[in-house]
Amino acid sequence: MSIEIAADTIPSAFPQTESERVAASTRRLMLAFLITGFCALLVGATIGPLQALNYGGVDAYPALRPLLQSYYQGLTIHGVMNGYVFTFFVTCGLLVYLPARELGVTPNLTMWRACFAIMAVGALCVLYAMGDNSSSVLWTFYPPLKGSPFFYIGITLLALGSTMPLSILLQMRATWRRHRPGEITPLVTYMSLTTMLMWGLAGVGVVAELVLQLDPWSLGLISTVDPIINRTLFWLTGHPIVYFWLMPAYVSWYGLLSRQVGGKLVSDPMARITFALLMIFSLPVGTHHQFSDPGFSSIWRGILVVLTMSVATPSLVTAFTIGLSLEYAGRLRGGQGWFGWFRALPWSDPSVAGQILAAITFILGGATGIVNGSWQLNAIVHNTTFIPGHFHVTVGSVTAMTFMAITFWMVPHLTGRQLISRRLALFSVWVWFVGMTIFAIGMTWAGLYGVPRRAWVSALPHGTYHALYGAASVPLALVAIGGVLLWVASYSFFAVFFGTLLFGRRAAPPPIPFAQSFGGPASSTIDSPPNPARSASPLIRALDHIWLLTGVTALATIAAYIPILWPFLHHVTRAPGWILW
Amino acid sequence: MNDNTGMSPLESAFHASAERHERFWIFGVLVMLVLLTIGTMFYVVHDYGLVTSTHSYATDPQAPPREAAFQDGKVVRTGPNAYAVYMVGRAWHWSPDVIHVPEGAEITFYVTSADVLHGFEIQGTPVNLTAVPGVVGTVKYTFHHTGLFRIICNEYCGMFHHAMVARIIVDPAGTP
Repeated sequence: MSIEIAADTIPSAFPQTESERVAASTRRLMLAFLITGFCALLVGATIGPLQALNYGGVDAYPALRPLLQSYYQGLTIHGVMNGYVFTFFVTCGLLVYLPARELGVTPNLTMWRACFAIMAVGALCVLYAMGDNSSSVLWTFYPPLKGSPFFYIGITLLALGSTMPLSILLQMRATWRRHRPGEITPLVTYMSLTTMLMWGLAGVGVVAELVLQLDPWSLGLISTVDPIINRTLFWLTGHPIVYFWLMPAYVSWYGLLSRQVGGKLVSDPMARITFALLMIFSLPVGTHHQFSDPGFSSIWRGILVVLTMSVATPSLVTAFTIGLSLEYAGRLRGGQGWFGWFRALPWSDPSVAGQILAAITFILGGATGIVNGSWQLNAIVHNTTFIPGHFHVTVGSVTAMTFMAITFWMVPHLTGRQLISRRLALFSVWVWFVGMTIFAIGMTWAGLYGVPRRAWVSALPHGTYHALYGAASVPLALVAIGGVLLWVASYSFFAVFFGTLLFGRRAAPPPIPFAQSFGGPASSTIDSPPNPARSASPLIRALDHIWLLTGVTALATIAAYIPILWPFLHHVTRAPGWILW
Repeated sequence: MNDNTGMSPLESAFHASAERHERFWIFGVLVMLVLLTIGTMFYVVHDYGLVTSTHSYATDPQAPPREAAFQDGKVVRTGPNAYAVYMVGRAWHWSPDVIHVPEGAEITFYVTSADVLHGFEIQGTPVNLTAVPGVVGTVKYTFHHTGLFRIICNEYCGMFHHAMVARIIVDPAGTP
């Protein structure tokens, strides 16, 4: 395998050497992942505010026919494009490109292109199936609602494609280790690898659901499916997907942000512990999404509560470590006193502002998550607007804003073009922050009045809407206001993103801001000076045994799911499909 | 300490202080989570009725709705102050769609679906049970206030999901 020597040369139309040509293809491929992902967000985020207006009592859908037939078709497109297509493309780009550059090793470009192609075909199938209103089954596609084969096969391809970076990462790590025997995996690579291992395990659930049941069912090969088994398999993947959304953002917070603010990462071990814990705890707990379902025993529900609470630990550790790294940078920049360091951070850098604001929204996101995971409280909020309120301040802010913030340095880095407007970029992340916060407060608050999620409430007769949800008029108005602000924010962002790609002025591309940790090496590339592992603690060396971690996680998952699936497998229901939209 | 190799004096000082605070923080986090877990568990055990559970399974999803209890849709008296209510969700209505129950009585809801998933949510209460085809789920609840409660479907079930609403009227205790 050829070794790329990391060099940030100005991208040239006529690369001189083989290694420059490879570096240029790597950059182009990363850019393709980024642009495709953000095109999906453009579609999803355009439809999003229509959903918010719906809760405010404004029904925009009649005006959108024949483009969109119903709120439910719009909501399906919003969820699938944002939740799957956007996040999968950006993540499958980032988690290959960043480790490749950290290690100074060329990724397997054929495999990476195949990953892109498979997901792109999947995305086109899904878009077709949603566009003709044949599959308005929402992003959770619970059977026995029955969409078109294009929908299920498209999702299958997206899911399979999104696990392919795992093998690319394993190859790169093996190459690096051959040249540097006995050394600990560098941090960004470690974080990316645990994320992809977690996702590779998690994907088993939804791939089994699709390949064994929904794909053949939609093609007419089998006539019935079991709703509760499929629902359980969906959440086997559907909960860890939350971490597949979050962990890439954490990669940027741990691996890059401390450098972007002018400091260092205060604790490399804490980052590794966080990722190992996220991997172990995210998998066995999927059925906490089914606290309201009949089926599995109360004992298991209790165990799930304990495991679910445990997932909060790595996120709270992250809050500490990232907070402290920011404080260190702020003090280096002359910040004094309790909050001076926070003001002293480089807020004028839109990439920094975007990530810090994203982290702040996660306070609300994490706290509401603990509510969802608490069995008894979950009974009050389950399937109310509280739930989307919660996940819009996780995936809708932490992931979306961090990815937006990453583009502010990455597009110049990949294309050699300067941001067309730093001010507009700053404006977009601030308005997104304010809009999403208002939206989420409105949604979680309205949920406490029993307003159901995913309901076309604005299509109800006016009197019915008021009789049912009039008590929640203030929070529902906040939802609509938040939605409109998010429109402003997303279009400002896309003006910067596409404007920079097309019209940005040529300039020397900035390097990737890899953070150095306290006591860590300045560079971990394959040809950098040796960094003997003896300075690493035994814990860190133990955590580097990724297959051991994977094995423990797999065993815990199997142990958690056998007692849950057992009664379902002994009482199979044969439910025919329904097309009800 | 090994970890401190290669650090500047400022970094070392910051690192040492950080480690102390880190231990304290993690301890605090664990205590908080343990207390939250105990809290939620206590509530569940103390107020056990709100645990959703399975009453029966059926291979054919149409079988439970055909049972007499579900067909009649009556409120069945099962004890001195206990009643059973049998509900079927169908796109897009609940049957029965108006139920009278007495205040202060223990009501056991048996809920199933004749087609796709539905969500059995009684607005203003913690009653929240997924109606699954082929499974009869059950949950117990006692209404302590008279008046009108609404059953709102909270699991997407198609084009008129939002209009799938039924009513529970809680009558003063003692009314027949």
